[in-house]
Amino acid sequence: MFQLKFMWKNLEGNHGKFILGILLCAINSVIVIINPFLSQILVDDAIKGDHRSWLVPILIGMGAVILIRTGFRYLMICCLDQSSQGMIVKIREHVFHNLQHQEMRFFDKNRTGDIITRVTGDMEYIRHVAAYISHVLVESIVMFVAALIYLSTVNITLTLWLMAVLPFILISSILYGKNVSPLYRQIREKLSDINTAAQENISGNRVVKAFAREEFEKEKFFEKSNEFRKANLHAAYAWQKIVPVMDFFAQSLSLLNLLVGGMLVIQGQLTLGQLTAFTSLTWALANPMRNISGILNDIQRFFASAGKVIELYYAKPLIADRFDAEVKSERFDGKIEFKNVTFKHGQTTVLDDVSFTIQPGQTVAIMGPTGCGKTTIANLISRFYDVDQGQVLVDDVDVRMWTLGKLRSSIGIATQDVFLFSDTVDGNISFGNPEMSEEKVRFYAESADADGFIRKMEEGYDTIVGERGVGLSGGQRQRIALARALAVEPPIVILDDTTSAVDMETEKKIQKNLRELPFPCTKIIVAQRISSVKDADQIFILENGKIDIGTHKTLCAANAYYRDVCELQDVHNLPPFTGPVAKGGEA
Amino acid sequence: MARNKFDVDEELEEKYQKGSLTRALQYAKPYRLKMLAALLLSCIASLLSLLSPTLMQQGIDVAMPNKDMGLLIQLSLILLFAIVTSTVCGALRGILMANVGQSFVYDLRCDVFSHLQRLPFAYYDSRPQGKILVRVVNYVNNVSDMMTNGIINAIMEFLNLVFILVFMFAMNWQLALLVLTGLPVLLGFVYLIKPRQRKTRLINNNKSSNLTAYTCESIDGVKVSQIFNRQSVNEKIYEKLSRAAQKAFLDTVYISNTMWLASENISRTITSLVYVAGVSWFTPSIEIGVIIAMASYAQRFWQPIINLANIYNNFLNTVSYLERIFQVLDEPVSVDDQPGATDIVDMQGNIEFKNVCFGYEPNQHVLNHMNFKVEKGQSIALVGPTGSGKSTVVNLISRFYNVTSGELLVDGRDINSITLHSLRSQMGIMLQDSFIFSGTIADNIRYGRLDATKEEIVAACRAVHADGFIREMENGYETQVNERGGRLSQGQKQLIAFARTMLSDPAILILDEATSSIDAKTEHLLQKGIEALLKGRTSFIIAHRLSTIKNCDQIMFIDGGQIVECGKHDELMALKGRYYELCMANARDTAVEWNEEIDGK
Repeated sequence: MFQLKFMWKNLEGNHGKFILGILLCAINSVIVIINPFLSQILVDDAIKGDHRSWLVPILIGMGAVILIRTGFRYLMICCLDQSSQGMIVKIREHVFHNLQHQEMRFFDKNRTGDIITRVTGDMEYIRHVAAYISHVLVESIVMFVAALIYLSTVNITLTLWLMAVLPFILISSILYGKNVSPLYRQIREKLSDINTAAQENISGNRVVKAFAREEFEKEKFFEKSNEFRKANLHAAYAWQKIVPVMDFFAQSLSLLNLLVGGMLVIQGQLTLGQLTAFTSLTWALANPMRNISGILNDIQRFFASAGKVIELYYAKPLIADRFDAEVKSERFDGKIEFKNVTFKHGQTTVLDDVSFTIQPGQTVAIMGPTGCGKTTIANLISRFYDVDQGQVLVDDVDVRMWTLGKLRSSIGIATQDVFLFSDTVDGNISFGNPEMSEEKVRFYAESADADGFIRKMEEGYDTIVGERGVGLSGGQRQRIALARALAVEPPIVILDDTTSAVDMETEKKIQKNLRELPFPCTKIIVAQRISSVKDADQIFILENGKIDIGTHKTLCAANAYYRDVCELQDVHNLPPFTGPVAKGGEA
Repeated sequence: MARNKFDVDEELEEKYQKGSLTRALQYAKPYRLKMLAALLLSCIASLLSLLSPTLMQQGIDVAMPNKDMGLLIQLSLILLFAIVTSTVCGALRGILMANVGQSFVYDLRCDVFSHLQRLPFAYYDSRPQGKILVRVVNYVNNVSDMMTNGIINAIMEFLNLVFILVFMFAMNWQLALLVLTGLPVLLGFVYLIKPRQRKTRLINNNKSSNLTAYTCESIDGVKVSQIFNRQSVNEKIYEKLSRAAQKAFLDTVYISNTMWLASENISRTITSLVYVAGVSWFTPSIEIGVIIAMASYAQRFWQPIINLANIYNNFLNTVSYLERIFQVLDEPVSVDDQPGATDIVDMQGNIEFKNVCFGYEPNQHVLNHMNFKVEKGQSIALVGPTGSGKSTVVNLISRFYNVTSGELLVDGRDINSITLHSLRSQMGIMLQDSFIFSGTIADNIRYGRLDATKEEIVAACRAVHADGFIREMENGYETQVNERGGRLSQGQKQLIAFARTMLSDPAILILDEATSSIDAKTEHLLQKGIEALLKGRTSFIIAHRLSTIKNCDQIMFIDGGQIVECGKHDELMALKGRYYELCMANARDTAVEWNEEIDGK
């Protein structure tokens, strides 16, 4: 029932329209029942009877009724669709907002395909219930009750006889509702599976082709499609079991009219005219009965879907602003400090009691074997994850005490896994501030040594790059991402192996530009090449969760990992090694 | 090539294509017997439902006045039989059509998906993924009901119409003609409203597809958005798209609901006219009973028309979806098996470029008359500035694109005469984008060879030094990862992708910046480890790190779409050309300053 409350809550602002729609629907349902009586008067009095002159006024009256009825109906549809659209807009915008603020752990857990299912298919069922099922339900109930009241004034005995089918219908509805509920949850899950399979196949189309795995992908997808088909068929079979039952009860009303009504007439308890009234109104009782199973289906489906949407709607990120967060309007100085930080991914300890301090304006390089936690440090500073133990401080305040907005807008990160949006190059570089001037975009594109190739593209800065920057080489993508990070002129710049796919000459140019940035900033550079790190004020070597801090000079002499990398990269004139001997060679 | 953005509407086909419907009917064709049976069942059910009023009439006219209980019970039994039969028929039809509908969806979806598998990169590169996704999933779901139940209902309504028409004409042709006069009015209305109706539908599809595309992209790019604190800007964009979708939806509601509004009002007017005309013109000549009957027929005649109008409405909607679906199916497959193509068995790995020219777009020259020959087992490094065409060379060898002119020979055979599957399955192609599928780590590696045993997977991981970190994860090889690779570092993803490639045991190995995110030391270990693995395989390596390149059998320096220099490391160094410059620049950078630094400070 929470699902319905949720719906009502999001109809806020549209409550009036929604209620008006429902009211119009109720009025219409009564009019629908009245109309046959007008026809009856028309036939009995105006045509068969002596009141020929009534003919035209009655016809005009009927015309007016039909105009009003259809007009009301049109209005009702508009009301319901407008209010339900208003509701959906509200829900989906809130869900989108919520998604935008979810922490990384949320996205580590949820598949994109499933999220997409929730914001498309599931949302559609909520809309469907608000816009359509709501009025079918009201129509059915009002019609049924109105007909029932009228008929009971005509003859209570026959009415009670007709009502004998009600308990059966109620019992079978309840049983049915319980039975199909899991079936509809199944359908929903299978739809989510299809979405996921298709989405991953589209995202990974390059890998699929590279391994010539088209057939395998097809098999996988066909299987998912087939499961979806089966789930739908299960539900359809269950439905077709209840449909004949409901249909039978609905139609048996005519049977009761004929048999019981006939007997009552024969016994003189009912006039023929009264029986005609019953037969002419039976449909108003039968149709609602027929509708029940369909309504139940949609409602079950609604409950399954709404639950999923609600999960997204109320998903609370653990990483969020504190109510007593620090407020600071000035620019950060850019001091960063780790105090005894421990961080775990699942059971793997990534950082183990790590401490360091970076002074404002310093350049720090981070090196270490694959998976040692270089990116984790960047993630912790910008609070994509929270530490398990210890503290991360920016400008001497725990990052958890800053608002995420202040913190992240002060940090420019260029990641190694570059994501570009399907937008123009200009739009991608000015991503951090859409109002950025054209000159600034160019300037930072030049800093990232990207201006040259961008100009060579068909439409220059207005060229649309595909999602993930497809169509650009890895190095080009990285350079756009670098320009994007620098263009916000943040007090802290984190370059997470941003130039791994860039050739050496370009890298050198970029490094030079980085040294001459026109704004003060602390720089953290994750890199693999000695040439990129050797000039740093501090160099962190991360290995097995521990950190070794030094400079090029000291590390060459004392850190085995750094020394090995130097040797591999032909660094000449190394001083004698004095540090502990490297343990094994395994990375 | 024109790229589509999330907020750019796809082109509207103003004229609607009749072809889509006939084409969609092809998908219903295999089920025509079932559909025919369903139609028959529907006919039986509706004929039986006609029985009920007649039986009632009999009861009222004969049984009741005569107080004939026997007849009453007899009539009731007949009615009971009719009810049971018609409900059973209805249920059978329901089951049949559920089957047909679901199979229809299944077939269509599988076809779309299969076709997508054959489409070239360019297709995927030129539009947001979300727009492809909605076609495979949502649109296909939307068409099934119309193409199955819709067809049967339309036929039923049509039969109904004919049936009543015959009765009307048999009773009084003048009044029957009068009833028909409403029809041109309705058709005129349909004609007027159809273009607008169609347009609103198309706009609605476009807007909702834009919304989905943006949602997809925002989920994929959420980290970047958070990095740049862009959430509120994104929300504004989303709001705009969402409001546009809302408006488009409501527009279709306003327009398409005028359909029944018109048909119901016309129907009532006509019925009234029948009364008026009947009473004032024909009263002396025809009986009042006939007028009443005609009026009720007029009503009955118009009910199927109203229903047909609704079906027509849905049908227009369906067609707009079908067009989008068939657009995918009609997308040309530019790289495909040519007629007469045969498998390449036991690929050796000899590659030859003969005057190869290539451009991604017409008139663009990325490769300019390139010539080279690579023998089985050689390792080739491709170096050169960004955008010089290195990746293009390997893209052509993997036949992701067709050469524009010239010849590319694999083991002496024209690459176009080889089936794509046999070609690529014997190549190990490792791209910069190390995509990880959701599933276990073992599943991801097994992607390289589907029948690989656990031991083989572990062996491949050992060879590329991935075994260590995988074992450290909580469930080792059975650890679940999602499609973004979640908690794996970029370097770890590359190692997994590497293991996946090595497992496929390729004759030709292509590494395009495949180790860029792997740290220097691991890469060094990796190189030593895979030297054994590379033995006997031809390999093409694109890398920026000299350490990766130096030991290759041949180094090709590419610039401007041509090979500028070619030879072993030592040879090229002796040449003192472009490659030498590159190496020296690098050496200066890493080595020289050590002394300076000591002296300086």
